[in-house]
Amino acid sequence: MASNIKNEVLIRVYILLFLFVAAAVLIFAKAIRISVFDGEKWRSAGKALVKMRPVEAERGNILTEDGQFLATSIPVFDISFDPNSSGMKEGDFDANIDSLAYLLSTYVDNSFTPGGYRDYLITMRNEKKQYVKIKLGASYAEKEMISRFPLFRQGQFKGGFVVQQKYRRERPFGLLARRTIGYVREDVPPVGIEGSFNYILNGEQGEQLMILVDEKAELWIPVSNYEAIEPKRGDDIVTTLDMELQDITEKALLRAMNYHNAEWGTAVVMEVKTGKVRAVANLGRTDEGWWETYNYALGQPIEPGSTFKLATIMALLEDRVVSLEDSIDLNKGRMEIYGKTVVDSYAHGLEKTTVRKAFEISSNVGMASLVHQHYNQTRDEKGNTIKKADQFIDRLKQFKLHLPTGIKIEGEAKPYIKTPYSTQDEWSGLTLPWMSFGYEVMLTPLQILAFYNAVANNGVLMKPYIVSEIQHMGKVKETFKPIIIDQAIASKSTIKKAQLLLEGVVENGTAKKIATDDYRFAGKTGTAQVDYQRLKNRTQISGYQASFVGYFPAEEPLYSCIVVINRPREHGFYGADVAGPVFREIADRTFASKIDLHKSINEMAKENKHYKLPSKSVGEKQDMAYLVKHFGLPTYGTAGSDWVMLQATAPDSIRVVTRKMEAKEVPNVVGMGLRDALYALENRGLTVEVVGVGKVVQQSIRPGTKLGNYKNIRLELK
Amino acid sequence: MTSRGERSKKIDYILLSMYFALVALGALMIYATTISDDPITSYSAFLKTAAGNQIIWVGISLFALAVIQLVDWKFWQISAFPIYLVSIILLVLVLFFGVEVRGNTSWFRIGSFGFQPSEIAKFATSLALASYLGAYNTDIKRSSNLVIILGLIFLPAGLILLQPDAGSALIFVSFFILLYREGFSFTYIGVGLVAAIILVITLAVDDVNIVTLGLIGITTTILTTLFKTRFYWIVSAIIVLFFSFYFWGENSWKFILLSNSIILSILATVHYVNKKARIITFTVMALLLSIGIIYSADYAFDNFLKPYQQERIYMWLRPEKCDPKGPLYNVIQSKLAISSGGVTGKGLFQGTLTKLNYVPQQLTDFIFCTIGEEHGFIGSLGLIGVFLALLLRILFIAERQRSNFSRIYAYGIAGIIFFHVFINVGMTMGLVPTIGVPLPFISKGGSSLFTFTVMVAVLLKLDSRRYSI
Repeated sequence: MASNIKNEVLIRVYILLFLFVAAAVLIFAKAIRISVFDGEKWRSAGKALVKMRPVEAERGNILTEDGQFLATSIPVFDISFDPNSSGMKEGDFDANIDSLAYLLSTYVDNSFTPGGYRDYLITMRNEKKQYVKIKLGASYAEKEMISRFPLFRQGQFKGGFVVQQKYRRERPFGLLARRTIGYVREDVPPVGIEGSFNYILNGEQGEQLMILVDEKAELWIPVSNYEAIEPKRGDDIVTTLDMELQDITEKALLRAMNYHNAEWGTAVVMEVKTGKVRAVANLGRTDEGWWETYNYALGQPIEPGSTFKLATIMALLEDRVVSLEDSIDLNKGRMEIYGKTVVDSYAHGLEKTTVRKAFEISSNVGMASLVHQHYNQTRDEKGNTIKKADQFIDRLKQFKLHLPTGIKIEGEAKPYIKTPYSTQDEWSGLTLPWMSFGYEVMLTPLQILAFYNAVANNGVLMKPYIVSEIQHMGKVKETFKPIIIDQAIASKSTIKKAQLLLEGVVENGTAKKIATDDYRFAGKTGTAQVDYQRLKNRTQISGYQASFVGYFPAEEPLYSCIVVINRPREHGFYGADVAGPVFREIADRTFASKIDLHKSINEMAKENKHYKLPSKSVGEKQDMAYLVKHFGLPTYGTAGSDWVMLQATAPDSIRVVTRKMEAKEVPNVVGMGLRDALYALENRGLTVEVVGVGKVVQQSIRPGTKLGNYKNIRLELK
Repeated sequence: MTSRGERSKKIDYILLSMYFALVALGALMIYATTISDDPITSYSAFLKTAAGNQIIWVGISLFALAVIQLVDWKFWQISAFPIYLVSIILLVLVLFFGVEVRGNTSWFRIGSFGFQPSEIAKFATSLALASYLGAYNTDIKRSSNLVIILGLIFLPAGLILLQPDAGSALIFVSFFILLYREGFSFTYIGVGLVAAIILVITLAVDDVNIVTLGLIGITTTILTTLFKTRFYWIVSAIIVLFFSFYFWGENSWKFILLSNSIILSILATVHYVNKKARIITFTVMALLLSIGIIYSADYAFDNFLKPYQQERIYMWLRPEKCDPKGPLYNVIQSKLAISSGGVTGKGLFQGTLTKLNYVPQQLTDFIFCTIGEEHGFIGSLGLIGVFLALLLRILFIAERQRSNFSRIYAYGIAGIIFFHVFINVGMTMGLVPTIGVPLPFISKGGSSLFTFTVMVAVLLKLDSRRYSI
């Protein structure tokens, strides 16, 4: 019996042993199943949840030479709340939810009442949601404010406060130079400076371990700073664009586009001495008016029309086959070559005149007959075959008209100049005469401008450029200097004569009607036919292209400028009527705004003395005294404290007002610059938060309030 | 020959070293899970972190372990009932003065210090059972004694259910391991197991009537195999089935059920006369009881359980019914973490899912995931192995005790640890429903670590003096 009991006990012990071992085996089996058999399935699911993900680098800014931002990246923050963050304590949530909901509904989203927000958050928590949108695209200041809300201030883990930083590309000048500044977007070819210098602006993507918090919202949040490769901020690009000139140029062009109901137009302003592009405007017709849709200045080759006559005449002058005072028969503006008729646009009725006059009135007949006479013969006096056309084309190549300008922006079109006698280029006996007044040849507006700029620059051909510097974090990394492509595209005398001819066009020729007494400029009009068909006696055309290219002031050229307007439908179509006024407007307004231009015209004129007296400016006594002395400002009153306020009272006098500040009170900092305000407030132990730029216009704590209860003060600057 | 005194003072170093290993591993895992890039610059800052807090509790526990070795071993036997009484009082008091955490009133909180009386109750019940059952005049087979024994178990379990903390209450079922060792009839345990299986099946199916139908089917089959008249039953069953399928409709199963029951009753009545009364009575009683369990379980599930409890049962038995972002989320994340470790794991401190707080309650209930992720399948097996070794060691120690009290107590804590480990680890793998019980010695939480330490410490003390009796 005893042994029975003993055996029974033993069996029971063994059964219990077996139970423990069996349980362990069961768990082993399950563990093997999860991590080995089904492992791939779970692991791939896990990989989809935690990944090294690229981190966008902050894109570099695009600046003007005087430091204005054309495009800049502003950090914005997408803020969300994880009401089931695993580090969050039940008590913390319950204790803070009321005040959190109140603050959110008051400062972030007014569409909720505090109670409504509270219920919403509680529901989201109970539904085990991990993602509640708080605010998308919040500014830094907003993010800082929201991050100090109760619960949120405990951070991502304990407070469920999730912040994702993003960048938003801002253009402080709005649509100004939109196309030239360009953009980089997904699915669209990159455009403009943004596109061409993407590799500089882009920086280097970083990498960071991120976790997928919400599948639907595709919300990935970074895991503290774990296994991160820091993104490298992109470099800044300093452009040669002058926003003042850009504004002038765009407005003038737009006005003309509207007035003439044109198809597209472009205007470029270049600095003569350097080749810096100071303004580029491109306007194309869309259903909603004119927009910067395409960079016509760079990308649109056109038959230049009459503006090409400068090249023609310069070739003739270089070959010394004509002189400006030579006589020429214009045959009342009509001439037949190989059965085709050349007609002058203007009915001038002239027969015998000078070459100079023929150029000034932009006679097609004049240019065509000269070129036909000097370059189109195929046999010399002895009857040998000669190829004189090569000579003309070589001259064009000497002027570098066959080369693109090489501007560092994507999309520059190549010039098209026919190879003499080439059947592939459909060379014919008509080619040279028609080339002489700008047909059967294709150049972009920028290429034409570069050529005229060389003439203005006494023959020195500059490479047009639009980026003058690359900076890294405010430090210059690379500077682009003006590049001379050719020291002299033609002899000095040819250049001089070309300049005189262009001045003559404005003074006596086709551009006479846009001349002004205020200053002198030089240029050439162009009226080209577009989509034409050459018929026997006349040319059937579907529209015109008006252009004007020139430089100002004529004596000492500072800027060259081209204006091309395609298919004006109303109020005329001649270059002088359509494009010329735009050039004039740009030149006029440039004179009005650029003081240095005035100087050069009227050296003796007194500098315009116009300044604003300080009004309610507060600062330290010594600083203010220095300023007053430096500018020689008339003041009265005496300062009885370390801080003073300057108050303009009469048009020409300033009162010095005492500004007292007690050590244990919140000082009045309204009117101070930020540096002084920070000094005054931080010395009193306050933490300062700043909104805006300029002088302090408002402070969140009333002056004279006792210190002690307050830790933070908010200043509004304007 | 060594003297009794010398031998008797020997502590079981195997058990002690297993204990140290588990506690150290736990602290390390908590550190691995909460490690962050924020530099910790001072000791006081470190002690405020989860790992630091755990280290403090490790210190307190080790101190308690040492103190217990100094206390006379008889103290535990003598004060078993007073301790039990105190724990019962605390369980009552906590219902009124406890702090509510996640819907359960199971914590006392004094300042930043909190403890769960249910932890003490497990220890106290082990002591009380050991003391009562170990007494010479107690016989587990005697019903009056059995009632007291069951009362000792169910009183604290019932009080804990009132909190309501089903997880901790479930742990008290572990005392049946102890009872079984001490001679508790297997019939009762068997009945309990069958009832539990029927319960689980009931909860796992859409329509409980199908379970009833199945049981009737089983019963009828048993009965028909017993009797010679099975021919008639089979014929009538075929006819019934024929008509049922012929006129198959929405309620056909009811028809089958009803007609089967009628046939069964007739047959049973016929054979009752033939002196096979006992077995028929037993079978029919079992059937009725089971049907009772089925319908009351179904009713209780729908009417008494809270939605979150229903969800937990659903996600265990019928995960297809659960929203993966909802209640199933924890288990899926937990499996993800375990499997992401692969065979050898990602290495210490390299766990990403757990470190990212991606697994909920990863310091307490789901800490096993961290081990799975960082040390892989091998690490998980190792940990389970250590726990198994610990349990087997405790059984070994139990069986070498000369005093009933010591042996029963040892079985008590073996059962408690076994249940904790099985439920906790099983939960992280979806083997058992999500029941919030800590992993002994490993999970963060001072109250739990302290109690398990005391349990082991007392066992070590009792074992070291086993020759003193």
